[in-house]
Amino acid sequence: MTDHDTLTPATIDCETAVRRLWDYLDAELDAVRSAEVAAHLETCLLCPPHYTFARQMLDALEASRREPDGIASLRLRVIAALHASGFRGGSAR
Amino acid sequence: MTDRTDSTAEPPTPDTDRDAVFERDVLAALPAVARFARSLTRDAAAADDLVQDTFLLAYRFHHTFHAGEDVLRWLFTICRRAWMRDSMRNQRMVTTEDGTDAELDTLAAVYGHAAAKRAGEDALFERLDLAPAIETALGELPAPFRVAVGLVDVEGFSYDDAAAMEGVPVGTIRSRLFRGRRLLQERLLDFARDAGYSTAHPALTPIAPRTTITPRRQPRRAATGTPRTDQTDD
Repeated sequence: MTDHDTLTPATIDCETAVRRLWDYLDAELDAVRSAEVAAHLETCLLCPPHYTFARQMLDALEASRREPDGIASLRLRVIAALHASGFRGGSAR
Repeated sequence: MTDRTDSTAEPPTPDTDRDAVFERDVLAALPAVARFARSLTRDAAAADDLVQDTFLLAYRFHHTFHAGEDVLRWLFTICRRAWMRDSMRNQRMVTTEDGTDAELDTLAAVYGHAAAKRAGEDALFERLDLAPAIETALGELPAPFRVAVGLVDVEGFSYDDAAAMEGVPVGTIRSRLFRGRRLLQERLLDFARDAGYSTAHPALTPIAPRTTITPRRQPRRAATGTPRTDQTDD
């Protein structure tokens, strides 16, 4: 990464930018560091593809969230167990 | 003695009120708890047992839950502790050493992407249906990494929330998360190669137009007071 630093007139260099990659995408950086990354990405020719790829993977992971099979029968089973513990609710939705 | 004309109608009692609240606020989260339980156990039958245990414990200790708290965070914590208890009891738990430097995993993932780009293999998220590969790859991750990825990347919890649910420092959850992501990326790239995927002439792939890359959530406020010690890049 360091051989490309001269191409990126930014506050932080490429190595710092890619070290912060996942923290930035997760919004776990403080506002100052996050702004430094954003400014770097505006001018750097090399780092944005790494960020885009990482973002695509995180979006794909988020999109993989789905309701497991068999939820209705599991709900009935849990309600039956709760009834044995004194629970009085639980419509069979 | 009061003559009740309708023997089936029960007057509201503190217990039935409590049960109505439990059903509305807690039981409604069953699908999310089931998804988390399956990510922990990787076995449908074991996950269903774990979900049942979780809700029985939640019902028993519902009085400890305070209105306004995050019910999912509370339930996931109960679920995770029940799973740990069962795993210890059955000695199925395989401990895995945490990553020691989260940023090395970040750099390794970037270098992995750079190599895939040179080989014309980096457009897999745009051109392949990766849902089955993601499910398989997640299931093959060691438990600590799988749980961290599941909580943050699949369920959308912050590092702080995930760390609280796991009962570990934030730096630990971050190390596990980054290691898990790096391993996932490697496996998804392997999947793409096994599927015979690559662009025929990567050098001729048109350059994508520049787009603004933003965080997935709002960034934290500017640091005041004690800085986080797990951000060591400067």
